[in-house]
Amino acid sequence: MRDLPIHVEGRDSEMTFSRSPLVFPAALFALIVLAPALRAQDLEDAQLLHPAPDSWPEYHGDYSGERHIHLTQINEQNVSDLSLAWAFQTNQAAEIKSSPLLVDGVIYFTVPDNVWAIDARSGQMIWHYNRPSVGEHIGHRGVAMYKGWLFFTTPDAHLISLNAKDGKMRWDKIIADSKKGYWSTMAPLVVKDHVIAGVGGDLDNLPGFLRAFDPETGETQWQWDATPPAGTPNAPTGGMTWMTGTYDPELNLVYWGTGNPTPVLNGKTRPGDDAYTCSIVAIDPDDGKLKWGFVVSPHDTHDWDAVETPVLVDGEFHGQPRKMVMQTSRNGYFFVLDRTNGKDLLTAPYGPVDWATGIDKLGRPIPNPDKEPMPDGRLIAPAEGGLTNYRAPSFDPKTGLFIVDANPSWSIYFAKPADGAYGWAGADYDLWGKGTIEAIDYQTGKIRWTHEVGEGGSGAGVMTTDSGLTFTGDAYGNMLALDTATGKTLWHVGTGEPMQTSPISYLLDGRQYILTGSGGVLFAWALPEKMVAATHAPAKPH
Amino acid sequence: MVFAAAVCAAAFLLIQQIQLPANAAVQETEQAPKAPGAKTYLNRCAMCHGAQRQGNPPAVPSLIGVGKRMTDDQITEMIHNGKAAMPPMPDIKGDELKDLLKFLTGEEPEKTPATKEESDATPQPAEGSNHEENSERIEAGNAIFLQNCGFCHGRDAEGGETGPDLTRSKLVMSDTTGDKIAAVVREGRPGNKMPAFNFSSSQMERLVAFVRARSAEVAAHPGGRRGVDVTDLQTGNAEAGKAYFNGAGGCSKCHSPTGDLKGIASRFEGLRLEEQMLYPWNAKSKVTVTLPSGQQVSGTLAYLDEFTVALRDSDGMYRSWLTSRVHYKVDAPQEAHVEQFTKYTDDDIHNLMAYLQTLR
Repeated sequence: MRDLPIHVEGRDSEMTFSRSPLVFPAALFALIVLAPALRAQDLEDAQLLHPAPDSWPEYHGDYSGERHIHLTQINEQNVSDLSLAWAFQTNQAAEIKSSPLLVDGVIYFTVPDNVWAIDARSGQMIWHYNRPSVGEHIGHRGVAMYKGWLFFTTPDAHLISLNAKDGKMRWDKIIADSKKGYWSTMAPLVVKDHVIAGVGGDLDNLPGFLRAFDPETGETQWQWDATPPAGTPNAPTGGMTWMTGTYDPELNLVYWGTGNPTPVLNGKTRPGDDAYTCSIVAIDPDDGKLKWGFVVSPHDTHDWDAVETPVLVDGEFHGQPRKMVMQTSRNGYFFVLDRTNGKDLLTAPYGPVDWATGIDKLGRPIPNPDKEPMPDGRLIAPAEGGLTNYRAPSFDPKTGLFIVDANPSWSIYFAKPADGAYGWAGADYDLWGKGTIEAIDYQTGKIRWTHEVGEGGSGAGVMTTDSGLTFTGDAYGNMLALDTATGKTLWHVGTGEPMQTSPISYLLDGRQYILTGSGGVLFAWALPEKMVAATHAPAKPH
Repeated sequence: MVFAAAVCAAAFLLIQQIQLPANAAVQETEQAPKAPGAKTYLNRCAMCHGAQRQGNPPAVPSLIGVGKRMTDDQITEMIHNGKAAMPPMPDIKGDELKDLLKFLTGEEPEKTPATKEESDATPQPAEGSNHEENSERIEAGNAIFLQNCGFCHGRDAEGGETGPDLTRSKLVMSDTTGDKIAAVVREGRPGNKMPAFNFSSSQMERLVAFVRARSAEVAAHPGGRRGVDVTDLQTGNAEAGKAYFNGAGGCSKCHSPTGDLKGIASRFEGLRLEEQMLYPWNAKSKVTVTLPSGQQVSGTLAYLDEFTVALRDSDGMYRSWLTSRVHYKVDAPQEAHVEQFTKYTDDDIHNLMAYLQTLR
């Protein structure tokens, strides 16, 4: 899962030329003319399974969700020379929260109701799609791509297919009824010929679900429900599926995190674990059948969606080779599971948590009944936003560090009979929080280093590189490059707004770019062109 | 869509009660301040004390007639040093200060055309039905609210993910013109996660109409209220709280019931008091910066990240340095509250709350 081969079958020659276009412009031109099929905006299954370094074809970059890149051009020695290659202004009030895609030199990214295609070399706009809608505009995570088609979810819970060449709509399907209280912000996951999309909507008592759509026709292929239907006695609703999952092609399973149960703060009408809300689930992408599920927050009453990236790592665990799935969950615990069967290997808090009395035999935190929201209030850590949230963590294979943007925090939770058993069903108030980048040793759950990123919290995602760099941001709008081994700052730049995206990186024309978003601006960072030409240091093959 | 239906119905029923002045927000915000000092007031004071100086008691006192209660020197001291949740504003001085004092102690605020219209209940010149205009406005506001506010404040404005219930907000309830709501929406609440929104005047008018309609609707149906009432926070034991304050809690190391906390329960109540007790809002830190020359500069910490430290000195001057070039020491006594989070039991909190409520 980790390897991103530099040479993709059938694309070797293109890769070689495109690394040094100034040397072989004629050859490159010839290639474009002679091999037009290779240049078409046409994403093949093989590219999703083994993304080339000049691409970022899916939300997490690859199916593993490690958000670790194998590029080394930008390294500890030269990162201080990193500078702005270009910036793209959306001219929108909405903050960029999406992870862009990059396919065939074109970047696709979103804010609610809007998709842009821009030139990855210049930052110039190619097209802009806008579809105003009524519904929850809390954020948008990005698009998915299959062959030449993009898939875009909307605040009114539609799935829209666009032509990647010009942004023209191909079809528009309803994922869920937005009038009932559903919305969708997520970037779908494309697995083979399935476009898997999820929903948000925990302001009402609604079941969460995943649905697979036919990428060509938009017809529904299957649906997996996280909970029994609304109105089932003693059962939860909820378990929204608002973040993109990951995929193991060998086991043919997709891994997905599900959101909190509803009613949110009142658990009385839904006794027990409330499966499969606040869970990591393994699902067969061909028929939507559940292979296994693990409830990371049994009987949640604090809105701690377990939708954070289920990161797939192949490696040793305590001396044994394992296929693992790891999650730094919003509830404050770091989980390592065996992803073949969902059995827990490690459960450990990665910051202040005060709501559990211990860990049960299955490796799940045991919720303290006295820390459920009460009429006179309960002090709870972490705060409702969680010890982390939707922005991506990163797994660095070399150091074995799972690096996450954390938010040590406290709030007070209230619930009383008058709050009822519908929707929020209580009230909670943040008291205090700060941001830290935590580097967790996945074998022990111990924190190897902590890097403070400021009052309130940062909100930036994390990306690590083979050259030992960690890219993220602080609470004040600084983008940071840290030393992955120690957490020390190597480079920073003020971007004017705290980053709410997870960084991505790619190699284009032999130059490595880091893409980040702050406020309504997308930034591309790279080493100066002269420096790249002089060192001419393409990525190391593995 | 039970909720939408309810809102529409409620909106329709409430039209005559609400009497939303047309273009209230527009008139309020686009009216150029006339008196010298009015501009400073609008920029620096109105966000809390209201455009009409009416305040938001008990947390934010009314400034109407403040000139009869306090001398110019006392008001100046309050502006420069702050008090409770009010931040110090030492940078207001010279002519600006004089104008502001004149404005504060001078004649009472003029009634705006909007409030006049409301109190006189003069029929509005209308094209078509006023009922329809109002309900349309509220419905349009509902859509804006859903898109921008509902995630935090709940779709029905009764509170949601991190955002408070707006229908029982004192600011909303006391806002007869809509200008206070508009001011918070435009300015945000820095440091409290509430972002500023750049709505057009007509969007703002609709949004305000919706929030006020929801507030009025909820007020018309008492009982079954969600959220936190003062009566919910009375489960503690004041004696035990006092013992905790002076003993295990260590509160008395910094605070005194006859000093800084004197009358605290008159200034804050209920949830607001409990929040202030657990972590004080807008607490300022002090910082001392030692320059390469050895010279020391002290002031109120204005900004600090890994790379830059900044302060406001006693003259209100903003000064900053690269952290790599200086040494600095931050004095943030409020951080003791953070350490306390890991030590409290919930009973400690409720007892402490009971004790603080005796400090009237």
